[in-house]
Amino acid sequence: MTMYKKYKQIGIPRAISYYNNYPFYYGFFTSLGLEVVLSDKTTTKTINEGTKYVVSDTCLPIKVYTGHVVNLINKGCDAIFVPSIQSTGYKINNCSKIRGLPEIIRNVIDKPFTMIEPTLDKTENISFKDFCFQTANALGITDSDEIEKAISDGWKVYNAFFEMTKSGVSYTEALENAIQGKFVRKTVGIVKPLSVAIMAHGYNLFDDRISLNLIKKLEKMDVRVYTSLNVTREDSLAAIDQIGEIQYWANELELTGTAAYYLLNKKVDGIIALSAFGCGPDSLMVDEISYHCKEVGMPLIHLTIDEHTGEAGFVTRIEAFVDMLMRKKRSVLAKPSAQKQKTVKVSNVGKFEETKVLASSVK
Amino acid sequence: MNTAEKLEKSKMENTIPTKDRIIAWPRMGRIDIPLKALLLSLGAKIVIPPANSNEALEIGVRNSIEGICLPYKLNLANYIMALEKGANTLMMFQAPGSCRLGNYTKMAQKTLKSMGYKFDMVIFDMYKSKMKQTLQAFWHVTHCINPWRYYKGFSLGFNKFFAIDTAERLLFYTRPRELHRGDAERCYEKWLKITDETNSVIGAKRLKKQIINDFKKIPIDKNKKVPIIYLIGEFFVLLDPYTNQNIEKELGEMGVEVQRQIMFGDWLEHVLKPSLFYHKESHRERSVRYAEKYMKRAIGGECIETIGDTVYAARHGVDGIIHISPFSCMPEIVAQNILPKVSKEEDIPVMSLVLDEQTGKAGYITRIEAFVDLVKRKQQKRNNN
Repeated sequence: MTMYKKYKQIGIPRAISYYNNYPFYYGFFTSLGLEVVLSDKTTTKTINEGTKYVVSDTCLPIKVYTGHVVNLINKGCDAIFVPSIQSTGYKINNCSKIRGLPEIIRNVIDKPFTMIEPTLDKTENISFKDFCFQTANALGITDSDEIEKAISDGWKVYNAFFEMTKSGVSYTEALENAIQGKFVRKTVGIVKPLSVAIMAHGYNLFDDRISLNLIKKLEKMDVRVYTSLNVTREDSLAAIDQIGEIQYWANELELTGTAAYYLLNKKVDGIIALSAFGCGPDSLMVDEISYHCKEVGMPLIHLTIDEHTGEAGFVTRIEAFVDMLMRKKRSVLAKPSAQKQKTVKVSNVGKFEETKVLASSVK
Repeated sequence: MNTAEKLEKSKMENTIPTKDRIIAWPRMGRIDIPLKALLLSLGAKIVIPPANSNEALEIGVRNSIEGICLPYKLNLANYIMALEKGANTLMMFQAPGSCRLGNYTKMAQKTLKSMGYKFDMVIFDMYKSKMKQTLQAFWHVTHCINPWRYYKGFSLGFNKFFAIDTAERLLFYTRPRELHRGDAERCYEKWLKITDETNSVIGAKRLKKQIINDFKKIPIDKNKKVPIIYLIGEFFVLLDPYTNQNIEKELGEMGVEVQRQIMFGDWLEHVLKPSLFYHKESHRERSVRYAEKYMKRAIGGECIETIGDTVYAARHGVDGIIHISPFSCMPEIVAQNILPKVSKEEDIPVMSLVLDEQTGKAGYITRIEAFVDLVKRKQQKRNNN
């Protein structure tokens, strides 16, 4: 049975929720019989384009988002998908700017286009299913069986994607394979001397222009990188609980959750926090984690990015951090016996606190 | 479930016996007058930290992280100053899910504890008629069981809020029209003092009328054509004269009538009164109604109020809008993005001012002066036609 469809294609800006949910969106819209049109990858031109429309105080990711919407309009897209993700749990809200994405886009861009703007708000009992129904209804699809099927198709793609990333496949590779319906596993790689965890929003970290290729740069320096995609939701929730924090932001799992998970299981040598300048939630979450890092002696670097960030200074900071980690590791590995002796000696005297400090620095 | 329980538990700490409690709260504008009346009539001992000043801001900036917004820095400074003066119980309300405000108390608690202070933090939610939780918080700190004292305290507090609001509104009206400069200001200061000293319920209920009568005695030029400017924006910045560099006074002295839609008394009534007894349309509901064309959903903070008030102002003959917000305030950045379109479509001049600890007074005043000139010219043009 062929149904009349209001729109033939849907445009998804390659920013903000794209980096977390695109596998789902792809499966969902394709199952509904729509062609998914993506905006071009972020370039300096995208940023400049976005900066033209929004006020200067707005953070970099929103500027980028605006740039992508403009790009889609220029491509001649029928409908553009601009979701408003208000909260992902009871009183677990998102940043105001992400909550108000459709409001910003509607008011700053003066070109004619159709905006599909569903709301996800679990505080007000609007569940993810309602969110999907709103989207489909706005696209002129009302058959609930078809929508239910699309939702399960969406989850299929998403789960395949997440299984791959969890096993260590890189973001881009996993995304490509998930969309083609393939499933790959990570082949056993070379053991790297150092490993770091990056706490950052997906839209900052996996956007090569915004993060200035941070992951690739680190891998070139022989550092193994762990991101939020390697941690399951349950694990990061448990980790937040364990370090004694309470989830407050919807994006908190990507930052506090990931950092806390790796802080607790001591798999990494250091933590890198990457956030956009003027980001409200990040300013609090990074502070929280740096407080816990200080307690256990885990090195942490906070990198702030905006549209003026120069690549040279950025690289210098990463290099210095990696060098520092390397030196620390080497010094620990070089004299394990000396460390051991010292510890024993101190504990004999009965200075329990000093032993603790030493033990933590060894780890 | 576990998280929710933990959240509830961390809200009202209980390590200090009730007898020894000395209570303090962060300062914002004039809220210390009614709160003082309330807590004193419940039989509590209190400490009022010094008003917000450069010194306070310095302490706040020194002890907080870089990226946090201005109100938090001042709140933290108030806590520190109060603790130095001998307080041991800190009270604060929070609103989870609005913006960073919901995280203030948690952060302050951690920062102060790491600084070595010993205290109890008592936190209560206030949105959506949380009268019960508010009462619970006050019971928690005072253990007062006498219902008459609660009645007296709350009635004193509310009436004082309303009295201050009335005095402020009249001050805004009188200041640009007064014949002898400074009359209105003096009258306002006088009544603030009297409001603070009033100690009986009947006296507090009379305050509002007395204030109105007294302001009527000030000689004013009734025929003066005075432009009206709406002051909108972030809650704390609007209500705290130190933070907004007393913009109301500056504007009043330039011959502009300021109107502010966010009044603490009104807000409190809307927030605390059970919806069964609250019949009129609240400020928020009105804002949602007017903002509909530009915003379809509330996004936290006072963003929708800002947009709704602007539209309301434009349709009710107001001459201009000044929008103030602290630096990096998330909801107000969204508002700033929307305001240019509202300004264009509703034909009303709007100026956004962003405040932080670096704001210089001279540049600030220049911008306000230029804006007032623009508004006055626009008004003249309209009168000539």
